Amino acid sequence: MATRNRTLIFRKYRDALKSVRVPSSSSPSTSSSGGGGGGPVIELASTSLLNHNRKYTPLSTEDPGNSSKGALTVGLPPAWVDVSEEISSNVQRARMKMVELAKAHAKALMPSFGDGKEDQRMIEGLTQEITGLIRKSEKKLQRLAAAGPSEDSNIRKNVQRSLATDLQNLSIELRKKQSTYLKRLRQQKEGQDGVDLEMNLNGSRSIIDDDNLDDMVVESVNELAQIMKDLSVLVIDQGTIVDRIDYNIQNVATTVEEGLKQLQKAERTQKRGGMVMCATVLVIMCFIMLVLLVLKTIVF
Amino acid sequence: MVLVSAARDYVNRMLQDISGMKVLILDSQTVSIVSVVYSQSELLQKEVFLVELVDSISKSKESMSHLKAVYFLRPTLENIQHLRRQLANPRFGESHLFFSNMLKDTQIHILADSDEQEVVQQVQEYYADFVAIDPYHFTLNIPSNHMYMLPAVVDPPGLQQFCDRIVDGISTVFLALKRRPVIRYQRTSDIAKRIAQETSKLMYQQESGLFDFRRTEISPLLLIVDRRDDPVTPLLNQWTYQAMVHELIGIHDNKVDLSSTGKLPKDQQEVVLSSEQDAFFKANMYENFGDIGMSIKRMVDDFQQVAKSNQNIQTIEDMAKFVDSYPEYRKMHGNVSKHVTLVTEMSKIVGERRLMLISEREQDLACNGGQVAAFEAVTNLLNNESVSDIDRLHLVMLYALRYEKESPVQLMQLFNKLASQSPKYKPGLVQFLLKQAGVDKRTGDLYGNRDLLNIARNMARGLKGVENVYTQHQPLLFQTMESIIKGRLRDVDYPFVGNHFQQGRPQDVVIFIVGGTTYEESRSVALQNASNSGTRFILGGSVVLNSKRFLKDLEEAQRIAKYSTNVV
Repeated sequence: MATRNRTLIFRKYRDALKSVRVPSSSSPSTSSSGGGGGGPVIELASTSLLNHNRKYTPLSTEDPGNSSKGALTVGLPPAWVDVSEEISSNVQRARMKMVELAKAHAKALMPSFGDGKEDQRMIEGLTQEITGLIRKSEKKLQRLAAAGPSEDSNIRKNVQRSLATDLQNLSIELRKKQSTYLKRLRQQKEGQDGVDLEMNLNGSRSIIDDDNLDDMVVESVNELAQIMKDLSVLVIDQGTIVDRIDYNIQNVATTVEEGLKQLQKAERTQKRGGMVMCATVLVIMCFIMLVLLVLKTIVF
Repeated sequence: MVLVSAARDYVNRMLQDISGMKVLILDSQTVSIVSVVYSQSELLQKEVFLVELVDSISKSKESMSHLKAVYFLRPTLENIQHLRRQLANPRFGESHLFFSNMLKDTQIHILADSDEQEVVQQVQEYYADFVAIDPYHFTLNIPSNHMYMLPAVVDPPGLQQFCDRIVDGISTVFLALKRRPVIRYQRTSDIAKRIAQETSKLMYQQESGLFDFRRTEISPLLLIVDRRDDPVTPLLNQWTYQAMVHELIGIHDNKVDLSSTGKLPKDQQEVVLSSEQDAFFKANMYENFGDIGMSIKRMVDDFQQVAKSNQNIQTIEDMAKFVDSYPEYRKMHGNVSKHVTLVTEMSKIVGERRLMLISEREQDLACNGGQVAAFEAVTNLLNNESVSDIDRLHLVMLYALRYEKESPVQLMQLFNKLASQSPKYKPGLVQFLLKQAGVDKRTGDLYGNRDLLNIARNMARGLKGVENVYTQHQPLLFQTMESIIKGRLRDVDYPFVGNHFQQGRPQDVVIFIVGGTTYEESRSVALQNASNSGTRFILGGSVVLNSKRFLKDLEEAQRIAKYSTNVV
């Protein structure tokens, strides 16, 4: 696959033209920031806000005041980015806990001498933590939505979709891990029951455990169904028309136009509304006065 | 896979090294180029949270300096102007410029001049200037396609623009494949010759450094042919899935717009038909209508079984299984609805227009001889009330193309009948077609009646009978491909450009049809590639034709030709 890099030629022209434009006054800060002036720009924008493969790095609050005329003043991202960052950090934490959970599952499945209650508790705890994280993130996700057609709202919608897909994948993964664990646990229990049939205590305990297992399955399925229902509105179905870039661009264009029309209409009605109200009030007043006048002449 | 994967690789490379939130800015052409190979969800994974067109993005004034801008544009005059304005008042933190074709030095100069704030971090040329609709089929979506039918004197700058776009597109195909071809063209077509020569000049003289790739023993072949050498294929009704959908409804950039066909639920008004994303479509796109009906019925039955088991939830395990498999179920449901809707719609059209009857006659006209019988059949169909105007026009055109010289009186009769019956028929259209693509203008042996070998082959086929009377037509392209494989493409008919020469049989061949390709031809190419003959073919055209588009181009060319002769 052939490509050609024209950046060098471009930079050469750019520097040549710059020196032509500003021949005498070239403050050292400007010239040094010509190469490094890309620096603050890159630093601020390169904090990967939503890249899950990297560690979560906080946003560097670079003071834009010290940038000279040559470099572009980079502003801080809008407030909603904080919400999306929180969600993505939650997703990160949930993933790490999933790894721990997998280990805990494996440990609990191994035959041991103890009654395994501690392992169970840890597993339950971890599962609940992960589910809690997912739920919290999902609630926060709703806050990302913005009204009104604008570029910002489109970005927010897309960020929402991306995070929704991540959350959905996470919950499906959790559910899969759980179901394999529960299945294997059930197999083990049945194996155990087969061995010590005469121990009544064991029998009764395994019935209770079976109920426990069923409850856990029901709970996890319930949770997953809830989450998937809430997220299914946001997640893009791959391969459909909604997944096409050109379709989304068209939609943006039409919604922006629509929005403009709506705004214009609203403006008009508002103006008209005021006048209409005034006129109506005046007309009513006129009628009242007329009635009063007639009454006055009749009475007097 | 070749074309699609090349375009995907380019887009991947554009996005992968830039971290952080990005906005992707495209122009109206690169939108098509990117949309057919990359999906919105994949963009979101690469942290591209906004996609905009370059002309609309200048309208807004809000500054979004927390975003990095990735521009992927064609290096045209308007785009450079847009860029100038945006670089002068940058809205985004950084700008990365990628162009789909070669930049001129003056253009780089202009951009450098306007980048006072130094937001541009890189300027690259990523050669994806073609729309890769199928793995071995690309198009250029040229709006003024009718240009190829007009003589050069009518509109020299327009024609130059047309040729430039084609040369740009073809050269990027070879840059993406990293090969430099030997070029041949159809002798009887001036425009094919012109494009061949300009491409050769670009690859061997102007940018010879860029195209100087590692030479293999046998160079690939670029063959440039003219649509008018085979005017029959775009006029025929199609019965294989992809070609049929395009002929009856219309596919554009792998999307089908069903909104004009009655009441449909909102999510079925526009659907995607892409062999890369839809496994059922990939398996059935070249099958004929009858087989497709069976396959869809099987798919619906499978789906109904799954749906029934989903409704029958009794134990907790069933419930769990349902919730787990819900995303797949949803996807399957969408896919089944899509195909059922398409096939239902097409069946409706087939019934309304009596296409089975008409198509049988069309295939006869295209493949078999017998002028007298043909004349009778066409006259009968013209007299038939239920035949639509469009189909009458097709029939007369096909008759005229085949029996142009045989019985002029009867031909005139048909013209008159057509003109009297169809009020919207533009008089002289069929004659215009004959002038453009008549037997004197054609190189190839369209009806298999020039070459003794072909005549013999036809007779043998007639005796053997055909499997399916509706798909018996083979486009001329098939014969051309066979000749290339056997190394028997005649120099007299398809000369080399300049002093190019090729010994032996090429292993990679790109065939470009000036005037447009059809899905019937791309099917032919795909089946040929699947047969492992040692040669890999890639097909490209200025547009993808169906009969409607072909007639539109013809009418437009006729109108302009008439206007210019009137003026002169």
